[in-house]
Amino acid sequence: MSTDFIQLVVGGILLGGIYGLAAFGLSITFGVLNVLNLAHGEFLMLGSLLSYGLFVGLSINPFISAILVIPVFMVLGVGFYLLLLKPIMDKPPHQLLVASILVTLGASLFIEDVTSFFWERPVTGISYSLPPIELACVVISSTRLLILLFIFALACAMQLYLKNTFVGKSIRAIVQGREGAKVVGIPISRVSALAFSIGMALAASAGAFYVTLFTVTPVMGIPLTIKYLCVVVLGGLGSIVGSVFGGLILGVAETLTAYYCGAEWSPTIAFILLILILIIKPEGLFGAKK
Amino acid sequence: MAMNSLLECREISKIFGGIEALTDVNFKVESNSITGVIGPNGAGKTTLFNIISGALHPTDGAVFFRGKKISKIGPSRVCRLGVARTYQLVRPFSSLSAIENVLIGLGFGRAAPMAKKDRVDEAVRILRMVGLEEKMNHVAESLTLVEKKHLEIARALATAPEVLLLDEVVSGLNPTEVTRTMGTIQQIRESGITIIMIEHILKVVMTLCERVMVLNYGVQIAEGPPKEVVADEAVIEAYIGRFEDAQEGFHA
Amino acid sequence: MNHGGKKIFYSIVLLLWAFLAALPFLGFSYGVVWVFLLVVYFTLALSYDIVGGYLGYMNLGHSTFFGLGAYTTAILLNQGFNLFSALLGALLLAAAFATVISYPLFRLRGAYFALATFGLISLIEVLTTNLRDLTGGSGGISTPPGDHTLASYYLVLAVAGVTMVLSRVVARSKFGLALFSIREDEEVAKAFGVPTTLYKGLALIISSVPASVVGGIYVWNMTYISPESVFGLEIALSPIIMAMLGGTGIMIGPLVGAVFITLVQEFLWTEVPYFHLAMYGTVLVLLGLFMPGGLVRTRWLKPVVQWLGLGEAVDYFENADAERIS
Repeated sequence: MSTDFIQLVVGGILLGGIYGLAAFGLSITFGVLNVLNLAHGEFLMLGSLLSYGLFVGLSINPFISAILVIPVFMVLGVGFYLLLLKPIMDKPPHQLLVASILVTLGASLFIEDVTSFFWERPVTGISYSLPPIELACVVISSTRLLILLFIFALACAMQLYLKNTFVGKSIRAIVQGREGAKVVGIPISRVSALAFSIGMALAASAGAFYVTLFTVTPVMGIPLTIKYLCVVVLGGLGSIVGSVFGGLILGVAETLTAYYCGAEWSPTIAFILLILILIIKPEGLFGAKK
Repeated sequence: MAMNSLLECREISKIFGGIEALTDVNFKVESNSITGVIGPNGAGKTTLFNIISGALHPTDGAVFFRGKKISKIGPSRVCRLGVARTYQLVRPFSSLSAIENVLIGLGFGRAAPMAKKDRVDEAVRILRMVGLEEKMNHVAESLTLVEKKHLEIARALATAPEVLLLDEVVSGLNPTEVTRTMGTIQQIRESGITIIMIEHILKVVMTLCERVMVLNYGVQIAEGPPKEVVADEAVIEAYIGRFEDAQEGFHA
Repeated sequence: MNHGGKKIFYSIVLLLWAFLAALPFLGFSYGVVWVFLLVVYFTLALSYDIVGGYLGYMNLGHSTFFGLGAYTTAILLNQGFNLFSALLGALLLAAAFATVISYPLFRLRGAYFALATFGLISLIEVLTTNLRDLTGGSGGISTPPGDHTLASYYLVLAVAGVTMVLSRVVARSKFGLALFSIREDEEVAKAFGVPTTLYKGLALIISSVPASVVGGIYVWNMTYISPESVFGLEIALSPIIMAMLGGTGIMIGPLVGAVFITLVQEFLWTEVPYFHLAMYGTVLVLLGLFMPGGLVRTRWLKPVVQWLGLGEAVDYFENADAERIS
């Protein structure tokens, strides 16, 4: 294999880490609420903007922003949940689907439009970089590497949290069976609100990293959410590990596509992977077959 | 050639991710009979129904209907071959009216679809048989529980089945409703349909069923006429053992 | 009484169509352009609802068919085909696309399906932009010039009328009932013999036909097409909002929604030139929270709709007791 190829793969993995983090959040909210939040990408976008603002205004570096945004967006997430999601959670499945799409899509449009009004120019990436590392003839951007390590640390912390704390276990219980969890006495509404806010916070955190690499525009939210959907389906519905893995795969695929076919084709690869996995293994790489 | 039973389960096993829901279940159902399937909660009864109706594939073993293997052909085809079912937690088509629910069964569940002009009349006839004729244009969701259960029976009957799987069709009903439903079941049996019923309420099982099969933790522990089965030690042990487990849990 | 109600409904519809047909001669040249667009959206809303409302799978990417139909027509027109051949080609391409895409997409359910179909629009848009030789890229292409305003107006009215009939025929057919049952409980529908995979695909194909045809008429009228003009957010969402606002799953829903949105747009859009998307968003949120079933299922309109005989229960008995309006 040529060094170019390895270089690309490595670059892709680093990109995929960011995808994985956001998809992880999406997977949690979907697992717990059984509602797909179309506004997920908006929170990533807002996290990016906040991080940018902190960097430009207060010279706070993005790694710290990534942590700072978590509590902020957890609060926002709870508010979002209480205002928009809690009222519809008890509806029968088909109505819940329609209502949730209406509500989250409407929220996305609203957030995008209002944000566009205040932020006219696309926000170019933060140029925050450390000197690159050379590792056996492959050049790695140390910024990206740090980001990836950070994300893995965050993901591990999340996993530990889910496995060991009471709240974490409650979340997993609800994912496995809502009715059963109710019977055992788990306060579904409170745990749902918390899970949702964690998901949003993770998205915002991913956004803080995102802005160091890419340009952020107010309207990028919905296409991103779609991309994360592809990641979640690729990894397996309901599998948190799967979403991270799916993110890595997408990152590599996009980087390779951009290099070999041209940058204008890379947006399509997410969808093509989605279609492929739906045909080959619909439950996803790590998903459980019925 | 030996006479085949109408429906036969041979060595049915089902494993869900490490849990053996059913282990080596063997039983036969003869034509025009009513067979009961009983057992403590979680014994695997509904799983068995899911396998017979084609909603699930058995991990091992096979289901035979009229001598033909039906385990892996899918629920649509099983229904058309003549095996219909109801659901433990009722699942009518909620926003559709009662008669539309029945029309689905009539229009799609039969081996030979009825002519269009006869369908509505037949649907009304079936609804009349279960006592839902007056509510035929009512939305399924607006019906009471006992009406929904009868609607499910009507929908299943509409597919002209030879075998009807009834999953706890009287649970949650008051004594009057139970008696009424038992009458309906008798009527169905008299019209020539073979019935297999999962049931908790012992009175119903003793009165209606000719043979009873007992499951416990996915294993078949007894089979035979109801009086025998109820007196069987293993069966008593299973029910009481569970009862004692529950008691222990209380005190622990 | 049902029969009387139905007659009134059909009279109203016919009057409306007569009025619209006479519009060009009443001196409203601005009105014609604007009504043309409205009728296009209405047809899209109606055809969307066959999958989104009857089948219960929210195909947010419905406008993909519109765009594909438009591009196919544009390309064929430029090759010298006449309008009807071009429209036929557009229809066939969209239907073929629907057939192919239904296989993987219908393995998704609920919100996943909605989101994936929404993503389909961007995918096709990117594809269209990249296949420059065929489609002229992001700059778009022009079709043979000419003033087709009047002809396309009547053509689109005709297509809309046919689509209304189609929608009603499907809703009252055995096929339509099967679609409803899939929406209510797909697993149980399958258990009772409904050929779910086949019917889902068929529903998608049927919905693609009116969408692609109006796409073709649209481009014939505009004599210009670009990826942005046919794959944009407005044309993707407006029809769906109309359908949902009025009421999905029932033929009269999109009609009510179209009228309502038109009135609101006329008054609101001109008064407040900003925040259009945000207003759309707010409407969606309010709809979702308070009336996901749409206007026709609210306390005020429901009796009217039932009286007009449009509750979709079997037309067997005269009495409309608790008649279904799903």
